[in-house]
Amino acid sequence: MDVAGKDASVEPSNANDDSLNYHTPNMAAEWQVSGNNLANTSIGMMSICNSLMESSACSSPSLVDSFCPPVWDHSINGQNLGYCDVNDASTSSNLGSVRADLGWNPTAMLRGGMFMPPVSGMLPNFPADSGFIERAARFSCFSGGNFGEMMNPFGVPDPLNPFSRGLGVVHSQRHEVNVAELSKEGGPLLGKQGAEGSPFKNEKRSESIHDEAKQGVGASGNESDEAECSGRGPQEEVDCVTGESSGKGLGAKKRKRGRGQDAQNEENNETPTQSAETTKDVAEMNQKGDQKTTSNSNPGGKQGKQGSQGSDPPKEDYIHVRARRGQATNSHSLAERVRREKISERMKFLQDLVPGCSKVTGKAVMLDEIINYVQSLQRQVEFLSMKLATVNPRLEFNIEGFLTKDMLQSRGGMSSSLGLLPDMTMPFPPIHAPQAGLIQTCLQSNSAEALRRPVNLQSPSSQVSNWEDELHNVVHMGFNSTAPPSSQDLSGKRQSQSQSQNRTCW
Amino acid sequence: MKARMQSSSSSSSSAAAAASAAAAALMVKQEFFEKWIKGLQIYSSFNKEMTVMERKRAIKLSADVAIAATRSATTRWSRAVVADVSTSAAGAARTAAEQILGRKLAERRALAATCSRRIVRRSRQRRGKAAGRGVVRSSAAIAKKLVRNRTRVLKRLVPGGMKLDEISLIKETLDYIASLQVQVDVMRHLAAAAERLDHQQISI
Repeated sequence: MDVAGKDASVEPSNANDDSLNYHTPNMAAEWQVSGNNLANTSIGMMSICNSLMESSACSSPSLVDSFCPPVWDHSINGQNLGYCDVNDASTSSNLGSVRADLGWNPTAMLRGGMFMPPVSGMLPNFPADSGFIERAARFSCFSGGNFGEMMNPFGVPDPLNPFSRGLGVVHSQRHEVNVAELSKEGGPLLGKQGAEGSPFKNEKRSESIHDEAKQGVGASGNESDEAECSGRGPQEEVDCVTGESSGKGLGAKKRKRGRGQDAQNEENNETPTQSAETTKDVAEMNQKGDQKTTSNSNPGGKQGKQGSQGSDPPKEDYIHVRARRGQATNSHSLAERVRREKISERMKFLQDLVPGCSKVTGKAVMLDEIINYVQSLQRQVEFLSMKLATVNPRLEFNIEGFLTKDMLQSRGGMSSSLGLLPDMTMPFPPIHAPQAGLIQTCLQSNSAEALRRPVNLQSPSSQVSNWEDELHNVVHMGFNSTAPPSSQDLSGKRQSQSQSQNRTCW
Repeated sequence: MKARMQSSSSSSSSAAAAASAAAAALMVKQEFFEKWIKGLQIYSSFNKEMTVMERKRAIKLSADVAIAATRSATTRWSRAVVADVSTSAAGAARTAAEQILGRKLAERRALAATCSRRIVRRSRQRRGKAAGRGVVRSSAAIAKKLVRNRTRVLKRLVPGGMKLDEISLIKETLDYIASLQVQVDVMRHLAAAAERLDHQQISI
C-alpha cells in the first residue's frame, strides 16, 4: 500500500483531520500544487452546497423522526435514498473490483492536476430533495474538482472513472459517513481527494470493524441525512462532533505526530474546539481553509487560528516517513471517525427529543441529560400508574377509556369543562363496534361539534371541545343512576356495562 | 413535542412533516391506549379485588407491554421488555401480556449469564482503577471516562441496552424515549380524566 507515498501520507492526516472541522487547510496545503484556483472554486461550490443544504429541509427528517423512530429508516430511505440505492446498485460491483486501485487513482488524477470542476453544471442539479442535496454536497466536498464524476452517481455510473468508483462506495453507510465526515470539514475539496483513497481502501477494514449489518442500507440513508444535517444543521451537531472529535482527534494526532508540533497542535485544536462551535465556524473554516490554501507560505505562523494549519509540515514529512504506520492507524481512526459520525447523528435526534438539550454540547452532557430525562419519564410512569391505581378501586377504564382517547389530542385540558352539562341528546355516532371502534369514531366524529357551540373551551381546536363535551356527556350518563336520555347511540352492551361498572367503580 | 417541532420548522415542508409526525404520534397513542385497556380488562377479569399495589403493578405492566407492543418487536428494547415480562410474569400478567401482544410468550427462566457479565465487568473496573490511581488525566481522558460511565448508566436504563454497542444504544434510546413520552402522555391524560371524574363523583 505504499505505492503512492503521497496518497498514503495524506490518509493518516486526512483521517485525523477529518475529525476536526478546521483541519481541512492541512489537506488543502498539500494539494496546493494542484491548483489553488480549483480549491477556491471547489470551496465556493461547497459553501453553496452547504447553504443549499441548510436551507433545504434538513430538519424535516429529524422532525419526522423525532416521533417515528420505527419508521425512521423507511421514511428517510424512501425520501432520500433514491439516489443512494441507485448508486449502490450501480457502483457496488465496480467497487468490489477496483477497490485496490482506488487509492492510487485519485492521487494520479491529482498529480496530473486534471480536475476542472464544471461548477456551472453542478448548481442546477440541486433539487429540493434534501437527500439529493446532502449527497450532492457531500460529493462536492468529496471530490472537489471532479464534478463530472460526481454527477455520475446521480446519473450514469461511469465504471471507467476512478472517482465514480470511489464515490460509488455509497453501498454502505460507512461510505456515506466517511463522506459526511469529510464534508464536515468543509475545507479544501482538493484535500478530500486524497482522502478518497483512504476511505475506499479502508472500506474493507471498516466493514469488518463495524457490525451494522442489521441496519443495512436503510440506516445508511438515515445516517447520510443525519450526517448532513449534523454537518450543516444547527450548531449542536458541530459542537458534538467537535467535542467528540477533539478528544479523539487529539489522541489520534498524538499518535501520529510524534513531533514537536504536537503540543502546538493540541493547543490549537483545543482552542478552536472550545471557541468555535457553531455552524458559522464551519463556514469560516471553509473560508479559512480556502485562505490558507492560497497563502500557505507560513503554516506554522497561522497555527493560532486553526490547529490544522500547523500540522501541514508534519504531514508533508509523513509522506516520506510514516507511510507504513499510517495504514494501520488510518483504518482505526477511520472506523472511529465513522463511529463518531453515527453517534453524533443520533445525538442530534436525541437533542430534538429531549427537552432543553438544544444548547447542550458535548457527548457527556448530552448523555447526562438523556439519562435524566429517561429516568424522569420512567418515574413518571411509575407515579402515574400508582395514581391510576389509587383513583380506581377497580381497573375499570371503560367509560373514561373512550373519552380520554379524545383527550389525547387536547393540550392540557379539561379545566373549564367541569361545569358543562352538555345536551344529553347529543347524538353519539352510532357505535356498535367494540371499544376501539368507538375510539376512532370519537376522534373523527363531527357529531360532537353540535355541542361545541354551547361550549367554549380555551383550546381553539374543535377536537378539544368536542372531546371534552363528549367526556362529560358520557360521564354524566355513566354517573346517572337513571338511564341516560342519550342512550340511543351507545351500544346497549357497552352502556349497560359502563353503567353497572361505573356505579360500582365510582 | 408538536410545539417544539413546529417552532423549529419554518418551511411548509417542515410543517407538513410536523403535522404528519403529530398524526403518527396520535396513532401510536391510540394503539397504545387500546392495548393498555385490553390488558387492564384481562387483569380485572382475573381478580376483581386487588390491592392498590397489585393494581399499580397491573397498570404498569399492561402499559409497558402495550407500549412495547406498539413497536411490534422491531426494536430491541421492546423485545427486552417482553422478555422481562415473560420471565417474571405470573398467571394474570402473562395472560394479559399475551393478549396484548397477540402471541404466546415463550416460557423462560431467568438466566444466570447476567451475573457472570457483572463479575467480568467488575474485575475489569478494578484493574483499571488500580492502574490509573494517582494519575492526573487529561481533559480528554476525563471526558471519555464521563462518557463511558454515563453510557453505562444509560445502558442500564434502557431495557435490553446492556448488550448494545454505543451506536445502537443511542438509537434504541431515541425510540425508547419517544415511546415513553407516548406512554406518559396517555397515562397522564387518563389519570387526569379519572381524577376529574372522581371529583365529580364526590361532588355529586
